[in-house]
Order: sequence, then C-alpha cells, then structure tokens
Amino acid sequence: MKYSLILVALLGFTACTAAEPAPTVAKQVAPAPSNVTVVCPTGSCEKAPEVQKVEVIKPIMPEVQKVEVIAPIELAEKPKDKEDVLDENQDLIIGVVGQGVAPMNTSSPAQAYALAKRAAVADAYRLIAEKVKGVRIDGQDLIKNMMVKRSTVRTSVKAMVRNANIVETTFKEGLCEVEMEIVLSHSDFAQ
Amino acid sequence: MRSRDGNRTFSLRLCSVILFNSLALNASEFLISYSYTVKDATLYNETLNISKAMKKCSGTPQKSFIFDTNGEKDLKKIISKNNENFINYIHKLGLHINHNDATQNYQQSSSTTLTLKTTCFKVDFNDNFAKISPLK
Repeated sequence: MKYSLILVALLGFTACTAAEPAPTVAKQVAPAPSNVTVVCPTGSCEKAPEVQKVEVIKPIMPEVQKVEVIAPIELAEKPKDKEDVLDENQDLIIGVVGQGVAPMNTSSPAQAYALAKRAAVADAYRLIAEKVKGVRIDGQDLIKNMMVKRSTVRTSVKAMVRNANIVETTFKEGLCEVEMEIVLSHSDFAQ
Repeated sequence: MRSRDGNRTFSLRLCSVILFNSLALNASEFLISYSYTVKDATLYNETLNISKAMKKCSGTPQKSFIFDTNGEKDLKKIISKNNENFINYIHKLGLHINHNDATQNYQQSSSTTLTLKTTCFKVDFNDNFAKISPLK
C-alpha cells in the first residue's frame, strides 16, 4: 500500500512536468568532424610553420667592474711651475754645459786645454741653438727580408747666436766643460 | 768777420779739421772672417782670415773692442798678440752655427761649425791702442 502511494505521487509529478511547455534554449552542438582538403596553388605547400616561441632572454649585463679611484699623478694635479715662455716683462736665462776633449797629439797640456775649451764652447753654442731654435731630425730605416739592414738618424741645427757668456770652465782628465748662459729678452725677437 | 780777440774761431776750426783728418787717415777698414769646426767633440780646424778692404765699406760702427798695441800698426800682429781676447770678442758679436749629427747603426758622429761671415771692421790705430768695431 505504502509503495503504491509513492508510485502514484511520482506519476503525478512526472505528469505535471510533462504538461509544462519546455523552455526554448538553443543548444549549440559541436559540429561533427569532417574531412577538409586544402589545395595549394603552387602545389608545394608545406606544413605551416609553427609559431616559434620567442623566449625572452634577459640580456647579460657585464658585471660592473670595481674601479679603484687612484689619486691622479702629481704632475697632472699640480701643473709644473709656469713653463718657460719669453715674456715681455721678464728676461729668460738659458744655461747649458758644453763638453769638449783635447786631441791626442798635443804638444803641451796648455795646448790641450785651449783646444778642448774651444771644442767645448762650440758644443755649448750648439746646445743653446738647439734650445732656442730647435733641431731638425731626419730618420731612415732600411728593412730587407724582414730585417733591419740600416738605421740612420740625422739631426741638424742652423742658427746664429750672439751675446752668450761663459760662466765657468773646468778641465779634468782631458775633458773640458764650459758652462754658458744666454739672456733672452723679448725685444731681441720683436719684429 | 774777424772777432776782437783775434782769429780764434778760425784756429779752432782748423785744429779740429786737422785732428779729424789725422784720425780719419789712421782709420782703416779690414775684412775679417773666422771659422772653426769641431768633429766628435774634438777641434778639427780653425781659420781666421784678415784682409785689408779694397773698397770702402758702408755701415755704422757697432760694438767696439780696444787692443793694447804698444805702437804696433799691423793688425795681424796685434790680433795674434791678443788672440784669446779677440776670439772671445768675435764670439760675442755672434757666430753662425751649423751642426750635423748622424747616427748610423748606433754609431754616432757629429760635426759643428761656427762661422763669422766675412765682416768689414773699422780699425782706428792710435799710439798705444787700437779700436776695432764692425760696420753694419
């Protein structure tokens, strides 16, 4: 009896639900798989390249080197005392030491001294000329079969020097040294 | 016009003209050149040329130098007696320097020539001294 009552109730419920109109919900149905044939116009179609995954690589940054701060050289920090420049208000003194030797065949020490001194004076004049006017230098190297055959350096000085003074002369063991100086003033060069 | 105290100005003029002429007659002009060469720090040769000028030189006297002559009138003898002083004087006047140096296969050789180009000097001879000065 009990089961019959439950059965009736169920039948009644189903009858009610069947009587109500069904809601119109469009159900999308997945299309059935179909065979598609692709015709290439050129006839040489290849498989489409797969999209390559682009990996973003982090740029390798060089390690920052530790730079030690070194104290600048004294010369750069403290510029040398004013360069010697011929100033209008101040004279410039140039000093040199010329050297000369006596020839081997001298008749007396006095002659040796005189000749050595003359040579030393010439050397001193040359040094003054080099300092004041400058030196012309020519060089030539001859290389053959990857070897230096001859290496030549030629220097020349041409100048006119006047009013140079001998400060001191020493003669020792055949070598004569003459210390000379010249006073340069701006008016000497003014044109 | 004669002055009251005689012809004094005239005599002064005459004396000055005589003095000037005597100085001028004693003055001579000489051409002097000097050169020496030093090779490898050794004196190679030295030349001093003195010649009496055959033409009158132009120019004004410059820095002068005084020799002790003791009555000597020959410039060559005077200079040879005062050789060292005269060479120093020439150096002061100014010398042309020509230096050449060559280093070949690490062997060096050098040559330096100092030259006084031929210059006209005016020389005034007096009893005990002579005054020489270049004309420029």
